[in-house]
Amino acid sequence: MFRIGLRDTKAHFRRFIMSIIAIALGVAFVVGSFCFREMLNDQVAQMMGSNSDADVYVRGATEEKQEPGGSVTSYNSTYTEISTSIIPDIENVDGVTSADATMQLGNAVLLDHNGDALTTVGAPTLVIGVDQDDPWRSAHFVSGEYPQTDDEIALLEDTADKAGLKTGDTAKLIVDGEAREMTVSGVFTSPSTQLGAILILARPSFVQHVLQEEGEDTSSIQFIGVYGSKTTPLDEEAQQQLADRINKALPKSADAHAVTGDSVRDDATKSIQDQLGFIQPLILIFAAIALFVGAFIIANTFTMIVRESMRGYALLRSVGASPAQVFASVLIQAVILGIVGSGIGVLLGWGLLEAIAKGMSSGGMPLSGSPAPSATDVIIGVIVGVVVTIIGATLPAKTAATAPPIQAMNETVNPEKPVKARGWIGIVMVALGAAFWVLCYLGAAKRVDWQWLKDLGSGWTLGLGAAFVVIGAIVCAPAFVAPAAKVLGWIPSKMFPVTGKLATRNIGRAKRRTANTAAALFIGVAIVSCLGVVASSMKTSVNNLVDNNVNADYVAMSASMTQPISTKAVDAIEDTKGVGASSAVYMLPTVKATNAEKDVMTAAIKTDLLTELAPVGQQDGDAAKAIDDGEAAVGRTIADDEHWKVGDVIDLESENTSVDEEATKQASEAYQKQAEAQAKTLQQEAQQLAASGDVSGAQSKAKEAENVVKQAQNVDPKQFVKMKTETKTEQVRIGAIIDDSLYADSIFISVPTAEKITSKDMMMVTQMYVQAEPGANVEQLGKDLKKTVKPFYTVSVLTRDEFKSSMSSMINSMLAIIYALLALSIVIAIFGIVNTLALNVSERTKEIGLLRAIGTSNGQVRGMLAIEAVILSVFGTIVGIVVGVAAGVVIRAAYESQGMTTLTIPWDQLVLFLIVAILVGLVASISPARRALKQPVLDAVASE
Amino acid sequence: MSKRTGANATSPIVAKAVDLVKTYGDTDSQVTALNHVSVDFRRGELTAIMGPSGSGKSTLMHCMAGLDVPSSGQVFVEDLEVSSMNQKQLTQLRRKEIGFIFQSFNLVPTLTAEENILLPLQIAHRPVDREWFRKVVGVVGLENRLDHRPSQLSGGQQQRVACARALMERPSVIFADEPTGNLDSRSSREVLEFLRTSVRDYGQSIVMVTHDPRAASFADRVLVLADGSITQDMDHPTYDDILAVFAEHDDPDNGPVSVESADAKEA
Repeated sequence: MFRIGLRDTKAHFRRFIMSIIAIALGVAFVVGSFCFREMLNDQVAQMMGSNSDADVYVRGATEEKQEPGGSVTSYNSTYTEISTSIIPDIENVDGVTSADATMQLGNAVLLDHNGDALTTVGAPTLVIGVDQDDPWRSAHFVSGEYPQTDDEIALLEDTADKAGLKTGDTAKLIVDGEAREMTVSGVFTSPSTQLGAILILARPSFVQHVLQEEGEDTSSIQFIGVYGSKTTPLDEEAQQQLADRINKALPKSADAHAVTGDSVRDDATKSIQDQLGFIQPLILIFAAIALFVGAFIIANTFTMIVRESMRGYALLRSVGASPAQVFASVLIQAVILGIVGSGIGVLLGWGLLEAIAKGMSSGGMPLSGSPAPSATDVIIGVIVGVVVTIIGATLPAKTAATAPPIQAMNETVNPEKPVKARGWIGIVMVALGAAFWVLCYLGAAKRVDWQWLKDLGSGWTLGLGAAFVVIGAIVCAPAFVAPAAKVLGWIPSKMFPVTGKLATRNIGRAKRRTANTAAALFIGVAIVSCLGVVASSMKTSVNNLVDNNVNADYVAMSASMTQPISTKAVDAIEDTKGVGASSAVYMLPTVKATNAEKDVMTAAIKTDLLTELAPVGQQDGDAAKAIDDGEAAVGRTIADDEHWKVGDVIDLESENTSVDEEATKQASEAYQKQAEAQAKTLQQEAQQLAASGDVSGAQSKAKEAENVVKQAQNVDPKQFVKMKTETKTEQVRIGAIIDDSLYADSIFISVPTAEKITSKDMMMVTQMYVQAEPGANVEQLGKDLKKTVKPFYTVSVLTRDEFKSSMSSMINSMLAIIYALLALSIVIAIFGIVNTLALNVSERTKEIGLLRAIGTSNGQVRGMLAIEAVILSVFGTIVGIVVGVAAGVVIRAAYESQGMTTLTIPWDQLVLFLIVAILVGLVASISPARRALKQPVLDAVASE
Repeated sequence: MSKRTGANATSPIVAKAVDLVKTYGDTDSQVTALNHVSVDFRRGELTAIMGPSGSGKSTLMHCMAGLDVPSSGQVFVEDLEVSSMNQKQLTQLRRKEIGFIFQSFNLVPTLTAEENILLPLQIAHRPVDREWFRKVVGVVGLENRLDHRPSQLSGGQQQRVACARALMERPSVIFADEPTGNLDSRSSREVLEFLRTSVRDYGQSIVMVTHDPRAASFADRVLVLADGSITQDMDHPTYDDILAVFAEHDDPDNGPVSVESADAKEA
């Protein structure tokens, strides 16, 4: 039987090409998704290895309760902070080469040699405080060396290349809104690529100083990194030994604990990898589509082959082959097919990933993670491919094996099982899904106030609803094929009376097959329509918001995500000639509303914003007056969530870190005193030596004393800076509740009120709205404003239209990726349609022959199949659009309070999908039609 | 009753084969199915072609109908040379000049009886002559079955639908390939009666391939083929005449009927 199976495979190879492509694509997606995750994991691990390369880390000994919904940056902040004062203790431990608390600035901007800000695609710009004494072991200098003074920086090679800077050049670094001239002291590489991050090394004292100016507490830190050697990393055992020694030396009061570098890296790596984990399921959805279609194409192909080989199987049976043997001969073909297909798929997936890695590198995100599939990936890919093939081939193989020899001789197409039951089950599932969506909508629109619904969250009701609707639609689709064909066939039937009618009726003949073929298109189109609705709703909502609610002529925004607009820039903009009303939005990240259940954002604004720049439409009370009076105005969403009303009191609390002047002065004085005392002692010793006649000894002692004094005079006062943390609270009465969505989710207070609890340094300006003075030339103002912000580099001034389009372009680039995936799923869907038509044609060989014998032209046969294909693809597309748009509508409603105020259905896009569907059908029908016409009429109609 | 006008309509010959040769296979193992056959089919006659399996009777009909291409020689239907036509011309020929009736009925399963009968006209974008339709349906006795799908009809009924379909377009000639081969004797008789009626009453020309002497006895003329050549040309033979011809050639105990069914594929 094996030989027969093998020979059949050879004979049918051309038939199998489409199946192989489908399996290969599916497997490529599966393998690709695994490889992609591994590539990222590898990259993360490499980056951890080179960026967190200490042998031992000292961290807080007490675990902090992790906040729910921790953000990306908080992955390792689960321990209490420790004081940097223990660093000397650690440095004294035997085997420690250096110990330091590496500090970073995340909000600097580097200017390239043209003076333009260097931006990245999402990767951060980091200024890292390291130097000769507190080195970064993984940094290898290509030229130059560590920065020696506070006016020097070293650059990562990738960064230097992008900026067009080299060792010795003068670079401009913008820190805290100020451009500073820095000399490039060196260019270095790290073992791992940095994903396009801009890395700048500066002296620790410089970084520390900037942080202090920004109000950061530099006296406590998450981690202190310890090197046991300046050149080679310690192995795990040595790390453990060093950690143990450090732990012994650490004072109990420090509440610190040393752990091996490896364990910290492993934890951090795993945590980042978990966060990146979401990408894989996304890719796997498309893998599932591809494999579904693959299994289906294989089932179709084998059905065709089995149908055509029935006589052969009957012969085998009649000469004594058992059903199992016939079954095996078919299944062997499936296994061969599966192995070939998945083999190609593995290579394809690998190639795809190499291409992605290349693309990312040329897009400014160099990857050093390996995209090569691991042995497990290959095995998983092949197993998935073979299993899917076997699943697809099992039913046809069973047909081949169990058909009695006599029946096999006659060519009969078994009538389909009824699809009514499936229809009902599917409808119930769709209804259930819709019910979830209704719940989600009701919950979001605040129509009902059920606690359990809130606990469940809109994500669950949305997701469950989508799952039920999609699966239900697939289940019930066969029952709707015939009615849908009637409706969709109406136009073609009018245009082409005969072929249209034949095509329409043919569609209803194999309902399951038709429905399954359409399903592949359905899923892809549903996903994209849903996103299309969400995206266009987002765009219109933003546009409407700007058009209807914002009167500002210009909006100043920060060009880099991490860098807020400096207060100096805010002042400069305010002082620009022609500026009328203006208000910056000061976010207050340190301020918390302690009597609120959720985390609520607080922002300080000028009342100009409420009255002139973005006037409030509907409100309880008078927001502008309230804010002027030192009260708060609260967005409606928050007020509803927290059940606040006008007259309630919010407890605002802010933890402020600032330079402790007193302590700093004391520390400085103490140092001076100590130095004086030391100098005095040395002088006394010198005098004693002089008295005893040792002139040279006395001279050297005097010199030493002089040095001490000089050193004390020259000492950097920054090193004595002591920080203090103060918690200030303020009770603020709610003076108004604002309905406008622009203000929906924040608490607003005036800048003076904010200054009662926090300092201006702690406020982050993200946006600033500006209006021209009455009578001033708006265009001229724009030019002036652009001139004003020029020295701040990172601030950009946008007109209203630019502001709107800056939002849209962000959404568009997100959609681009999804559309690329859709294109792939369309290709797969075309395969499905081609294959189904091919099977239909093969089943209807005689019928088509007859049609031609009685005068049907080749064009009419082509037309008939084209109409069938178009009905099929349009059916899938329409169901997809309906489900997708419904999902989009629900999602929009669920996130209405987050600013998606306007529902926009992108009709032009949906019409485009339909046109594409028609084209897809036309293209898909070409090859099956050619095959139908290649068959001689005589073969088709000659009896026997 | 012929709708045709002009010179062709009056010609007594509706179709003819001139020195027709058809061989299969390559030179080493050549099989000659038709060996220089020349024959005229007369208008308004039911002509039956008979012969044992492998005699070339089906090949002759397929070449006549443009379904098969002869190796040499010419085929004319209404003075149009079928043997040199391309696909497009063949399609036109099938729409206007030729009708088919097959052994296995070959109805379109998705269409009702009425739709099947009207299908050729619709394909050719020709208007439906309702009166003619009623007449044809009346003759085949399908008045009450027009809404039924083929799967709801008996074999005899299906073949009668196929006959009505062939007759509906009033082609120059109808080629019937073993039209009674899948029918019981009663249904066979009905179908044959109908074919004879359409020839006698409506002047339809029909060429029928059959191996059944009883079916052949309905014909106005019977041609007998053997080994690719016409060996007999009988005018209005009786059933016994036909049996006698076969008895001459073969052992009467081993009649042509049983020989035929053993390996009909080769035909």
